[in-house]
Amino acid sequence: MVEGMIALGAALAVAIATIGPGLGQGNAAGKAMESIARQPEAAGEIRTALILSLAFMEALTIYGLLIAFLLLGKF
Amino acid sequence: MFFATPVFAAEAAAEHGAEHGGGALFSIFGLEVSSVVTTMWGLMIVLFLLSYFATRKIEKIPESRLQNAMEFVLEALLSQLSGIMGGEKMAKKYFPLLGSFFILILASNYSGLLPGAGHLPGLQPPTSTLSVTAGFAIIVFLCTHYFGIKKKGIGYFKHFVQPLPFLLPLNIIEEFVRPLSLSLRLYGNIFGEEMVVASLFALIPLFLPLPMMLLGILFGLIQAFVFTMLAALYIGTAAAEHHH
Repeated sequence: MVEGMIALGAALAVAIATIGPGLGQGNAAGKAMESIARQPEAAGEIRTALILSLAFMEALTIYGLLIAFLLLGKF
Repeated sequence: MFFATPVFAAEAAAEHGAEHGGGALFSIFGLEVSSVVTTMWGLMIVLFLLSYFATRKIEKIPESRLQNAMEFVLEALLSQLSGIMGGEKMAKKYFPLLGSFFILILASNYSGLLPGAGHLPGLQPPTSTLSVTAGFAIIVFLCTHYFGIKKKGIGYFKHFVQPLPFLLPLNIIEEFVRPLSLSLRLYGNIFGEEMVVASLFALIPLFLPLPMMLLGILFGLIQAFVFTMLAALYIGTAAAEHHH
């Protein structure tokens, strides 16, 4: 019973932590596409800024992944 | 807590039928040598030989393909770093550290694509364990503060109370979250990709892991790039000239 709850908690940790950064990354990528289409000569700079901001957003999901790993370690 | 992850790797690898996840192969003077360490040695030898042969007879107008290829990679990286750190002078100053990070992490990520990686003893991508990535991140953490103090002296610590003094605890937490997220991002991506490939391999060994491995080529490059860019950003802001 407890193990099942731990497994559920680990799954939920990753699943819920994915929602926000997923929306945010989609938004950022979409805006970057728009701005590249509007000004193709700035594509290089936009791409660097996009990758950096995606990395910061992705960190949030990875905290969820860390919690999931820590929970799985409790078995 | 964080250094207990080889246990996860070993457990997960045992589930997927791979015997050598994080266990020790042999030990030298009481230090356990795992597959990750031997792979790192192999990468070091390969990178050393590559750099040696590329720079053995260096030419102003390169005729050899190896020197051309190396110059192409380094110049592309240098121009990217110049954009982040503000000026090529700044980027060139810290390029030996950041460039080494990029090349070593890239080679380490791609070593997971070698045949038998994760299954054969002595071959496992080093960046798929948290100990290695945490080591990288701690080097970045120490270098950031070292370069900052070297550049600005005691005035470096002013930025901890910079916008408003009561933000001091938040600023300190931020400093310590940086290496945490830096190491976890790299580890999570590479380890996760290895695990997905391993489970696909366990389902159908033929052709099924191929799309994921193709994605792994992309992810390996992006993660090496992101690590280098973030390290450049941290070091660049710590050692930036005063503008105000």
